[in-house]
Amino acid sequence: MFSPILGVLAAIVVLLLIAMVIGEMPGKTLDGIYRFTLANASRLATIFSMAIPLFLAGLAVAMAFQANVFNIGVEGQYFIGGLVGAVAGIYLRLPAYLHLPVVVLASMTGGALWAAIPALLKVRMGIHEVISTIMFNNIAAALVNFLVNGPLSGRGEKSLEPQTLKIQPTALFGKLNHWFNALGLKVPRHIYLDYSLIVAIVMGFLVWFLLYRMRQGFEIRAVGTSLEVSQYAGIRVKRVQLTAFLASGALAGLVGLQEIFAIRGVYTFEIAAGLGFDGIAIALIGGNSPIGVIFSSVLFAFLKQAGYGLQLYTAVPNAIIYVISGLMILFIVVINEVTTRYIRALRRKEAA
Amino acid sequence: MTLLKMDGITKVFPGVRANDRVTFDLAPGEIHALVGENGAGKTTLMKILYGLYRPDSGTVSIRDEAITIKNPRDAIARGIGMVHQHFMLVPPFTVLENIILGRESQTAGVLRLEEPAREIAEIMRRNGLPVDLAARVEDLPVGLQQRVEILKLLYRGAEILVFDEPSAVLTPQEVVELFKTFRMMRDQGKGLIFISHKLDEVLEIADRITVIRRGQVVRTLASREATKPLIAELMVGKPVFLHVEKAPASPGKVVLEARQLRQRSERGNLVLDGLSLEVRAGEIYGLAGVEGNGQSELVHAITESARLEAGDIFLEGRSISQWDVRTRRDRGIGHIPEDRHRYGLLLPFSLAENLVLGQHHRRPFVRGSVVDSGRVRQYARESIEKFDIRTPNELTPAHALSGGNQQKVIVAREMRFDPILLVAAQPTRGVDVGATEFIYQQLIAARERGKAVLLVSADLDEILSLSDRIGVIFKGKIIREFRQEEATKERVGLCMTGEKQSA
Amino acid sequence: MFLATLTDFAFRGLEMSAPIAFCALGAVFCEKSGVVNIALEGFLSVTAFTVVWGSIAYHSVWMGLVFAVLSGVLMSLIHAVATVTFRVNQIVSGVALNTLAVGVGRFLSQKAFAQETQSAANSYLFPTVLHINSFAFALIPIVAICWFVLYKTVFGLRLRTVGENPEAADTLGINVHSLRYVGVIMSGVMCGLAAMVLYPSKWVNGMTGGRGYIALAALIFGRWHPVYAVLAALLFGYADTFRIMFESRIPIPSQFVQMLPYVLAIVVLVAVRGKSRAPAADGIPYEPGE
Repeated sequence: MFSPILGVLAAIVVLLLIAMVIGEMPGKTLDGIYRFTLANASRLATIFSMAIPLFLAGLAVAMAFQANVFNIGVEGQYFIGGLVGAVAGIYLRLPAYLHLPVVVLASMTGGALWAAIPALLKVRMGIHEVISTIMFNNIAAALVNFLVNGPLSGRGEKSLEPQTLKIQPTALFGKLNHWFNALGLKVPRHIYLDYSLIVAIVMGFLVWFLLYRMRQGFEIRAVGTSLEVSQYAGIRVKRVQLTAFLASGALAGLVGLQEIFAIRGVYTFEIAAGLGFDGIAIALIGGNSPIGVIFSSVLFAFLKQAGYGLQLYTAVPNAIIYVISGLMILFIVVINEVTTRYIRALRRKEAA
Repeated sequence: MTLLKMDGITKVFPGVRANDRVTFDLAPGEIHALVGENGAGKTTLMKILYGLYRPDSGTVSIRDEAITIKNPRDAIARGIGMVHQHFMLVPPFTVLENIILGRESQTAGVLRLEEPAREIAEIMRRNGLPVDLAARVEDLPVGLQQRVEILKLLYRGAEILVFDEPSAVLTPQEVVELFKTFRMMRDQGKGLIFISHKLDEVLEIADRITVIRRGQVVRTLASREATKPLIAELMVGKPVFLHVEKAPASPGKVVLEARQLRQRSERGNLVLDGLSLEVRAGEIYGLAGVEGNGQSELVHAITESARLEAGDIFLEGRSISQWDVRTRRDRGIGHIPEDRHRYGLLLPFSLAENLVLGQHHRRPFVRGSVVDSGRVRQYARESIEKFDIRTPNELTPAHALSGGNQQKVIVAREMRFDPILLVAAQPTRGVDVGATEFIYQQLIAARERGKAVLLVSADLDEILSLSDRIGVIFKGKIIREFRQEEATKERVGLCMTGEKQSA
Repeated sequence: MFLATLTDFAFRGLEMSAPIAFCALGAVFCEKSGVVNIALEGFLSVTAFTVVWGSIAYHSVWMGLVFAVLSGVLMSLIHAVATVTFRVNQIVSGVALNTLAVGVGRFLSQKAFAQETQSAANSYLFPTVLHINSFAFALIPIVAICWFVLYKTVFGLRLRTVGENPEAADTLGINVHSLRYVGVIMSGVMCGLAAMVLYPSKWVNGMTGGRGYIALAALIFGRWHPVYAVLAALLFGYADTFRIMFESRIPIPSQFVQMLPYVLAIVVLVAVRGKSRAPAADGIPYEPGE
C-alpha cells in the first residue's frame, strides 16, 4: 500500500509550504529538522527512546481498530494502568525478577479494567465507544488526581508536584544503554533506552502473533473486515470485539512504563498526557498493523523532535507537528479511499 | 392516440440480451400487464422507461412524439411515474411531507402546507386514495404506504404509472383496495403498467397482457382472450435441457425437518405461515417459488436464527432453535449464501483463509489456538485443485477472482466441510456457464454421498434439472410437492403462481 | 440572599451551557444531514482561539465573531470534503481534525502572541449583562431559528431527508452532496458562535475541556432534536455551574466533583440507549447511482 508513503510525503510538502508562508525557505526548514533529529547519535537515540511509549500507544489503538472498535480511551487506560502498576511497584516486596513482570502485568490489568466498562457498554447496550471512552479519559484524569493527592500520596517526599511514594528499587526499569554500546551503537547515558523497550518488543511480537498466527486474531481481523460475513461463518462477533477492546486496554496500560519506572521512579500527577491521542494518529498512519505501527511510531517520534528543532532553529512553531500529523491521516485515508474505489470500478468493468 | 409506445427496444448487457426488439404500447385509460419469469427483461424495460438505462436501439414515444429520457427526474417531468417494490419513502416524516418532498410549495423558503394539502385531498378523492396526511409513514400499514407512493406520482402529474409487483407486500384486502384505485385512475384517462407474477390478479384487472420471455415479447393479447394455463405456457416456453445426469434417488432418513414454521416480518406480515417440509439424506429438495414468498426467511431460520412465532426446525431429530451459528455449522449445516459479497467471503483475505472460514477454529487448521498455516494452505491447494478454481495461487485475495470463481470458492468450502445438510441459496446467480455446470455436478455429488441438499432457486430450469423432489413455496408455505417424474415446467410454473391444481 | 444566589446560578448556568448548546445545535444540523462529526472539540479549540485573536487584531469583538465563524467554516469544510466528496470514514476524519486542531491553536498562538499556551488578554468583549457574557442570551433566539429552519422550511425538510433516506432524496431530484456540505458547515458555524461565549477574554490551551464531546452526549440525549439537545446541554451546563458554585460546600473530594459532567454523560447515554435514534443514514457515506 503506497498510501502511507504518499500521505507522509504530501504532509511534508505542506509543512514546507507553511514554513515558506512564515518566511522560512525549505532549505532552512529541512536543516532545522535535521539538526534536531538526525544530526548526531544523541538526537537519534532520543527519537528511539520517545518512540517506545508511542509504539505501545499505537499498538493498543491498532489492536482495537483491527476489530473495528474505536478505542479513543487509551489516554485514560494508561493513567489507570500506570497507577496500578506503580502501586504494585511501591507496596509489594518482591525480588526483582518477580517484581518486574508483576509490575508489567499489573499495568496491563489496570488498563484492561479501565477499558472494561466502555467495552461492556458497547457490547451489551450498543453505546458507541467513541463517546464513552472519551468520557472515561476525563474521569480517569480526575480519579488519578484524587488518588495521587490523597490516599496514595507520598507525603514527606520533597517535591513540588503531587506524587506517590517512591517505587521499590526492585521494580525500577534499568537502562539498556551499555548493551547498545557493546554492540557498537553509541547511546549517550542520559537517553532512556530501558526495559520498556524489551516490553515493547515482546508486546509487538505477541500482538503480531495473535493477529496473524492465532485463531482469535483471525477472528478479530474477520470481524473488523465484515461483521456480516463473520456472523455467517459462526464467529461470535460480540465476544471477539470485547476481547479486542480489553486487549487494547491492557496494551494501553503499558504506555506509561518508561516514564514511571525508568525515568521518574514515582507516579506523579504530571504524567505525560496526550500519548493516547498520539497513539490514534500512529495507529491510523501505520495502517493498524504491528509492523506499520513500528514505522509510524518512529516517524511520530521523529516528528516530535523535528518540532523542537523547528522551534529552536526556525520561526516555525513546534505545534505545527500536530497540524502535519492530522493532515497526514487525512491524506492517507483519502488516498486509500480513492484508490480502493478506482480498483473496484476497474474490476466492475472487467466482470461485467 | 397511443399514450406510450416503446418500439424495437434492444438493450444488451455483457453476456445477456436483456431486451431484444421489444415493442410495447399503452393506450390512455388502459391497464396493461407485463408478465414474465425472473430475468425475462421486464424490469430492464421499465428501467429504460424510467430513465435509469438508455436503450441501445429503439425509440420511446409519448403521445406519438419520440423522446429521450435522460434520468428519473426527466421521466417524472414527462409524466412517467414508477412505484418501486422497495418504497422510496422517509419513514419518520408525515404523509404530506413525503408527497411534497422535492416539489414543495414555499414562500421565501418557508414551507406552505395548506395549498398542497388541498390539492392532494382533491387527488385523493378523484383516485380513491384516502390517506391521513398528518400520519407518520412509519406508522402506516404497507398498503397505505403504497398509496403514499402513488400519491407522490399523481401530485407530480404522472399520466403513465408503472407498478413493479405492487401486490407482493399487500394483504388480500389491501389488494382489493389497490385495484379499486387502479380502476379509478384508469377512468381518469391515465395509463397503468403493471408488472406481476400473480396471474389471478393480472387476469382480473388488466385490459391487455404482454408476455416477455428471454428478452423478447412472446405475445400481447387482450385479457379476455387469456387463460392462466395459456399465459403460464407463454411465460415458460419449452424446458431447457441442462446436461445433468444423475442416477435415480435413493433417499435415506430425514435430515432436516421444518415443522409448521410461523414468522412475522417487522411490519407484522406473515412471512412464514405454517411452513413444513422434510429433506432426506441423499436427495436434492428444490424449493421453487417466486422471490419474496418466504424463501430467504426460511433459509435464515435454518442457517442462522429466527424469531419464530411458532414451529420448530429439527436436524436429525434434534431441535436447532437454541443453537447459535457456530453450533449449527459444527453440527453439520452448510450454507451457500444468496449474496456472496455481503455474506460469503472476506474479500481482502486470501483464498486459503476464506476456504477454512467457518471451521477455522477446529483441528487440523488450528492446534490449540495457533493456526497451522501449513495445513491451511495445503487444504486450500487441494480444494483449489478439486474444484478447479482459477487463481494464481491460494494466497490471492478473494476480491481478485471473477464472480464464478468466487462462488466456486464458497461451494468448495461448504462441500469440503462435509455437512450433513447443505443449504444452497441461488447458487448459480451471477455465475458464468462453466462454473454453473460445475456447481451442478458438485450438488449432485453431494447427493450421491448421502448428503441432504436444500436447493433454493428462482431459476426453474435449475430446480427441475437437479431436484429429486420439488416443493413450491407460496405466501410462506409449501402448497404442493412434486416428485421429479411428475414435475413439468408448466405445472410447476403454474403452481408457483398459487394454483395448486389436482395431481 | 437566597434569591440572589438563585438568579446568579440561573444566569451563570446559561453562560456555561451556551458553548455546549451551540456546538450541539451544530451537531444537530450535521448529523441530521447524515454526517457524523466527532471533531466538534477540535472545531471549538480553533474558534476559541480565532475569536480572541480576531478581536485583538482588529480591535473589535465583531471581527472576533467573523473570524470565529470563518475558522469554524474552514475546519468543517475539511471534514465535508473528506467525508462527503471522498466518502472517507467519518470517525477517522473527525479524529484527524481533532489532532489537527490541537496544533492549529497553539501554532497560531505562538505566531500571534509569542506564547504557545495562551494568548494575550482580550478586552474587546460583548457587554456584560447581569454578570455574564451577553452573547449567551443569543442562544435563545438562535435555537428558535434553528428549530424553525429545520422543521418549517423547504431547506430543512430536504436536509432531514438526506440524512434519513438519501436514495429517495436522489430520485426526487434533491442534491444530496450539497445539502450534506451545508449540514457539516453549519456545525462549523455553530462552533464559531460557541466560542463567543466560551471565555473570549483570553485563550488558553485546552480551555475547551471536552465540551465538544459533551455536546455529542447532549445531541444523543436530545434525540437529535434542536430544542431537546439544547435542553440537554443546559442540563450539563447547569450541573457544571452547580459544581463550581458549591464545590467548597460539598463534602466529597473536589476531583470527584470534577468528574460530574463526564459521569453524567455516561449515565445519560445509558438511560437513552435504544430509544434515541440517529437519522437512518447517519454515518453512512452516500454513493449516488447503483
